[in-house]
Amino acid sequence: MISWNLYSRGDKIFSIVVSLLIGMFTIATLYPFIYIAAVSFSSGFAAQAGKVVLTPIQLTTEAYKYILVQPEFWISYRNTFIYTIGGTILSLLFIIPAAYALSRPQLIGRRYFNLFIAFTMWFNAGLIPFYLNMRDLNLLDSMFGIILAFAVNAFNIILLRNFFESLPQSFEEAARMDGANDFQILWKVFIPLSKPAIATITLFCIVARWNGFFWAMVLLQSEDKIPLQVFLRHTLATLSDDDEFAMTQLEAAYSAETVTAAIIVCSVIPVLLVYPWIQKYFEKGILLGGVKE
Amino acid sequence: MTSVILDKVAKSYGNLEVVHNIDLTIESQEFVVLVGPSGCGKSTTLRMIAGLEEISGGTVSIDSRVVNRVAPKDRDVAMVFQNYALYPHLNVANNIAFGLRIRRTPKDEIAKTVADVAAILGLTDYLDRRPSDLSGGQRQRVAMGRAIVRRPKVFLFDEPLSNLDAKLRTQMRAEIKQLHKRLDVTSVYVTHDQVEAMTLADRIVVMNDGYIEQIGSPMDLFMNPVSTFVAGFIGSPPMNQMQGVVSGTPSGKQVMIGDAAFAIPDNISVSDGQQVVVGVRPEHFSMTPDDGSPAIPISLNLVEPLGSEALLHATIAGQPVIIKAETNGDIKHLSGISQVYAPRNLVKIFDAESGVVITGQHGS
Amino acid sequence: MNTGSDKRHVTTVTTTRKRTLKQKLIWLGDHFRNEWQIYLMLLPTIIWMILFLYKPMYGLQIAFKDYSIFRGVANSPWAGLEHFETLFTNDQFIRAFWNTIKISFLNLLFGFPAPIILALMFNEVMNATYKKTAQTIVYLPHFISSVIIAGIVITAFSPSVGIVNTVLGWLGIDSIYFLTKPEWFRPIFVGTGIWQEAGFGSIVFLAAIAGVSPSLYESAVVDGASRWQMMWKITLPSILPTILIMLIIRIGNVMEVSFELIILLYQPATYETADVVNTFVYRQGLQSGRYDFAAAAGLFNAVVAFVLVMIANTLSRRYSRTSLW
Repeated sequence: MISWNLYSRGDKIFSIVVSLLIGMFTIATLYPFIYIAAVSFSSGFAAQAGKVVLTPIQLTTEAYKYILVQPEFWISYRNTFIYTIGGTILSLLFIIPAAYALSRPQLIGRRYFNLFIAFTMWFNAGLIPFYLNMRDLNLLDSMFGIILAFAVNAFNIILLRNFFESLPQSFEEAARMDGANDFQILWKVFIPLSKPAIATITLFCIVARWNGFFWAMVLLQSEDKIPLQVFLRHTLATLSDDDEFAMTQLEAAYSAETVTAAIIVCSVIPVLLVYPWIQKYFEKGILLGGVKE
Repeated sequence: MTSVILDKVAKSYGNLEVVHNIDLTIESQEFVVLVGPSGCGKSTTLRMIAGLEEISGGTVSIDSRVVNRVAPKDRDVAMVFQNYALYPHLNVANNIAFGLRIRRTPKDEIAKTVADVAAILGLTDYLDRRPSDLSGGQRQRVAMGRAIVRRPKVFLFDEPLSNLDAKLRTQMRAEIKQLHKRLDVTSVYVTHDQVEAMTLADRIVVMNDGYIEQIGSPMDLFMNPVSTFVAGFIGSPPMNQMQGVVSGTPSGKQVMIGDAAFAIPDNISVSDGQQVVVGVRPEHFSMTPDDGSPAIPISLNLVEPLGSEALLHATIAGQPVIIKAETNGDIKHLSGISQVYAPRNLVKIFDAESGVVITGQHGS
Repeated sequence: MNTGSDKRHVTTVTTTRKRTLKQKLIWLGDHFRNEWQIYLMLLPTIIWMILFLYKPMYGLQIAFKDYSIFRGVANSPWAGLEHFETLFTNDQFIRAFWNTIKISFLNLLFGFPAPIILALMFNEVMNATYKKTAQTIVYLPHFISSVIIAGIVITAFSPSVGIVNTVLGWLGIDSIYFLTKPEWFRPIFVGTGIWQEAGFGSIVFLAAIAGVSPSLYESAVVDGASRWQMMWKITLPSILPTILIMLIIRIGNVMEVSFELIILLYQPATYETADVVNTFVYRQGLQSGRYDFAAAAGLFNAVVAFVLVMIANTLSRRYSRTSLW
């Protein structure tokens, strides 16, 4: 890149204007989070009066106290961890060996296997047959069902397969001549060499699991199995028109809005904690998938 | 004591045959170099010996055992790859030990063997380093260490020096040769660099278009190329090749290139008026008429000094030639040269159409 | 000595090395003996796909049946095209279909250029720390669940407490209950999409920009071009292939509106503009139990989507040498 000192006056003005626009967009992206955090720490009265703009008004943690004493909140939080960790591990157990096999030129019918897997990205039976299939498999209202039924994703397989194919062939050949079998090659050579790609896929799995909402809502009935997102949804839907809640909030210094905001904050915090750690991977990882030379 | 025998070995991809009926016997402890331009099938041949490519036809035997259907790991061969294939996540010691670990060799034995190999290759101080922290030459040594640690029956080298710079290449070339002397293991080495082939090989196999052009010792190939292809491939600069016509004179046979006459050995079976290619190595031209060969007029275009020698870029009857001449520390005297001599016994004659050499007793 | 050259004169006898059946079987036996592990590695995924993705495709036949829970997919009586006839005369479905198209079109019109503009702008930012920080922040919403996004939108647009109405109040405008107003649904939905995805979407374009040879810019500087001119004359044309591919992908995904967010944001008052095919399927099938009818709607959606994806892939192959998968 050309050094700033060599910019003409016009270029400098242009660059500064663009930087300011970027700054505005960044603030616009960030603002809703700040706003929600501010609401969550404000009193119900202040929030209801629409006074919260940037910082908490009448600072209080009542909304959090209201949430954190609810056992359902903790159960759903725990469930989300189970779904996220279990689901991600299961996904990797499916995806990594499959991607390895599909990257091997010696696999007979490789083209057809690839087509078999890719086809599921282009054509989807849709909600109803999937739901009925889950019922036929006896996986309704089952934690294991949720973990298993969303374990594999064609896009992730193809992404990792592309990465494996991009590794120099000689790594595999050298290991093979050293006497390694395919499981050893995968475990001792390919997986260590593919850390960025596997990290990316792990990230995609974790994010999908952590945020998974629709199917958990549809498939799970028991209160003790629902993940955080479904709990959040229930709370959002019931808080505002819950008469009993409306009665209590005047004295309690929290409102439907501050409680909602508090739940949102609780749900986003884990994402924010892992986000910087994963960020370095996904920029590279996103480019591994789909579009292939 | 391991020989490698290729019997009518062929390789095809679909309907495209890339290696055709190769016959080659590599003796025990011999160092054989497969050389040829890219795409000539030399790497494919090596990979068939290694077991990395399926053999489409014929048989490969290692130690009198046909290995066509034997997995690479069971052939007891080791290979050094062009890009070294060093595992970036393992340090030098673990890279070298990889094959032993896979084969579940006892730990103390692994440690001892790795130490021995590291000592041979001068890697003892680098065992804890990752490949990314090594120089090109050190990586090359680790790659060789990984091959020799298993004490295989056959070493295979796939252009192992092509990623090194010129100076390092010369040095590693010497190390490979010393290593071979020390370990005495049958070795097959693939390269496109004829200098490497000449310096390393007991025997060179020149390949072209999936066929073997010639097999012979380095000096044999240099002095007696069987075809214009080999003549043009071996030697640096390669043999000069000029189109000419045979004509008999009272003093013996000669080939006319324009007005220039090249005396040729009398027993060569050519007839008057035959179109041939005359081959003379740049270093075989002489400035003095040692054996009574006729003077050949040249028109000199350029003198390239190399130090003790110089390359004269000239034309003989319009056809370009390169002549290597001694400088004796000065090139001034070379710029005036207008004629050279080609000693009769060093002149090679090839058939103009097929490029095959025409020899004395038994013409082909 | 071995002369190979003369072999070239023997005009190559076409050496077709056709294997006999026996040789083929031996070869296959060797192959599976040596390579069985990779088939074992692939097997779980294949079984999973059959069980969870292909079996439902078989189950799609209920779109042509009178589905009864008790009889199951295979044993329910055929109904021919009855459900499709009902479907195409159903005002709600037709509305949902056009809503899908309209929302997708708006997404394309406003949502597609946003990440490109953002990437071009990021490319002009000189301060590396500033750029990195801004990127970190604008990628973030991509990782936030739709429930939370919906929660934020609902809170921010709430008539009593929402910041949007608070600001409108400062300007002397009466508060609007945005989420009950059909005319506001699409702008809010599309705007939310841009807020959530523009940053993350810019990654692909930034990578394309990073691939542009610096010497192009250097020679332009020598020629006296301004940054503005370079953006138009170098950067944009250089990333045009990427833009084209991403556009084709977008067109292929027209039928895939993120219905999760719609389910969370719409209400009967806004069905008029917000209801899309998938939300329609969800209500008819999973909420009202009309499985066969809803499956028919879903099948129609899936077939249209499949055709669009196939067209997109063909276009992409033609224009860019690259296939999308």
